[in-house]
Amino acid sequence: MSAYHQMGHDSENLLWTEQLAQYRGAILSPVNYDQGKVAAQIEWARARNGFETIFDPQLYVPNSERGCLREWNYFPNDVDTADLTSDAWWDGILNSLIDVCAAVRPDAVCSPAVLPSAYPDEYFARIVSVGDQVCIRLSGTGLKPIQTAVVGMPELSVAGRPMAIASILSRSRANRIYLVLVSQIEPRRELSDVEEIKGAMRLISALRDAGLHVIVGFTSSDVALWKAAGASDCATGKFFNLRRFTRTRFEEPRGQGGGQLPYWFEESLMAFLRQSDLQRVLPMNLPRVGTSTNPFGGQILEQLANEPEKAWLALAWRQFLFWFADIESRLESEAVTPSQLLRNADNNWRTLEDVDFIMEERRNDGGWIRPWRRSIAEFRTA
Amino acid sequence: MSSREKVAQAFCAANGHRFICPVGAGAFKETFHIILATGEAQALKVYEPGFSPERTARELGAMQRCSHPNIGRLSAIASFYYDGVQYLLSVEEFLSGGTLTARLRHGLLTLAETQSIGIQLVSAVAHIASHDLVHRDIKPDNILFRKDGTTPVIVDFGLVRDLVGISLTQTWLMRGPGTPLFAPAEQLRNEKTMIDWRSDQFSLGVVIALSVFGFHPYQEDGDSPTQTVERVADRGAQTARFVAAATGAGLPFLIRMAAPWPVERFRTPEELERAWQEGR
Repeated sequence: MSAYHQMGHDSENLLWTEQLAQYRGAILSPVNYDQGKVAAQIEWARARNGFETIFDPQLYVPNSERGCLREWNYFPNDVDTADLTSDAWWDGILNSLIDVCAAVRPDAVCSPAVLPSAYPDEYFARIVSVGDQVCIRLSGTGLKPIQTAVVGMPELSVAGRPMAIASILSRSRANRIYLVLVSQIEPRRELSDVEEIKGAMRLISALRDAGLHVIVGFTSSDVALWKAAGASDCATGKFFNLRRFTRTRFEEPRGQGGGQLPYWFEESLMAFLRQSDLQRVLPMNLPRVGTSTNPFGGQILEQLANEPEKAWLALAWRQFLFWFADIESRLESEAVTPSQLLRNADNNWRTLEDVDFIMEERRNDGGWIRPWRRSIAEFRTA
Repeated sequence: MSSREKVAQAFCAANGHRFICPVGAGAFKETFHIILATGEAQALKVYEPGFSPERTARELGAMQRCSHPNIGRLSAIASFYYDGVQYLLSVEEFLSGGTLTARLRHGLLTLAETQSIGIQLVSAVAHIASHDLVHRDIKPDNILFRKDGTTPVIVDFGLVRDLVGISLTQTWLMRGPGTPLFAPAEQLRNEKTMIDWRSDQFSLGVVIALSVFGFHPYQEDGDSPTQTVERVADRGAQTARFVAAATGAGLPFLIRMAAPWPVERFRTPEELERAWQEGR
């Protein structure tokens, strides 16, 4: 139904960008902003009717060095020695978290969840138990609870696991699930393991069919897959590491958010293009599904024409973010279907291959499109 | 006469109650019909000494927490010495209308009876769930009727699971507790973390299907009970004849109640109750 900003380093200006007004809300980041700044973001959002602020406490790896996180009152000072399976330890964290949220007053609060080394049923039972405690504590505060679900993509490729995990998660007292899919694929690359993708689609679909509202966090062009599975909302951010959740994000130097090369997102190929590729692809006028005008695309092309040496990274972020909200809306309204998008992209990649078109990046070859098409086809017939 | 019957008779004699007769026996407890000194009919349960005190305490604790017209009422718990041995006894309301099992010997339930009995049992399951309890052994033997013959009552919390407490079932067991023919896959496979009120929902769905159609949702014509249980444990598909019967009878919600995975069943007791009321 809606797109959400996945807030990251220096992302505030995107909230106020008029042409990105299609976003329904933002998932706030205590890693990149202190309490005062998050409170200001919430205050700004409150003035915009219907813009939802969701607070993600980001305790995924509490003993990593995570920017501002240690400055927040709920951040535990005993993470190195704490027993993360202890109810008493969680009680203390949750009490502080609810106090903080009562002060800054976001519209909704995600339950804290730790990134595990493995994903047994007991792990999911534990995060639901923590989520239920958040629900109980938020009752009567006017703040809405959201159950966080951290799920490893490889786990979802195991037969039966998506339904087993969905069975445990759907026990949550919360009516909304914030799904964080943990992948081993680096953020710049596209997902391509059919079994993992189908598993994630089954999980989303089972939760949706159980009456839960599923927000998929940290997404990119794979929004087409998750919408095909029935995700209610999807979130993305300006950096590639806000568009894919990996374990390595906790090992990266913080702040810069991954690669800083500008990329154009080309819907006709469902691919990110570097400048040299963009300038060769666009004149080919590859067929598109439907029409939609991206104002930032026009600005990039104008700048490339008039000031070719000027950096266009900031415009590139906006061009993708506009596309994301736009496609989310078009998919939701069924103006376009995921299958149509991918079939068209597949045909266009074939056209490029026929003329021996070589992209600047070796692996930018559209090789993920057919696995995506197959995932959707097999998911639908399962 | 069993040793537990002797205990029951001695207990009645010591307290001015009248011993009537035995009414049922399990491996670890036996039930007797007695009349209290006040004239009230009651069921007296005598537990085997030394049998899992944790499980017995959980059973009695669960019954004390529940208060619902379709759940058996616990009146008292007593400790009684007989022949130098300490016995645990419970006094519960006596339900004279017989079991659902006995009722089904005379024929299947009509649709009207199914609606009336089903909605009461759904309400009872919802009440049990509201206390974070899972009965885990809902079956025709554990559904009795009050004297009026129309009010079903769920009894025997001997296998109750307290979701807030520590599980008493060992994880290494191949199969969790419960009566296999009525148990969902998660119980049959001892998938402990997947057990919640939706496990009772499954069992109730099976009980109702058997009561109104005469066959289990996963039972192909000619299947043995063992084959049926295997199909449930393997999370196979419900049979086409069950799906057709449930749909044709205007009881489509039975299909969802008895679905293989908990996530496919009704998520909340309120949704289940609404489905019964609205016939969805």
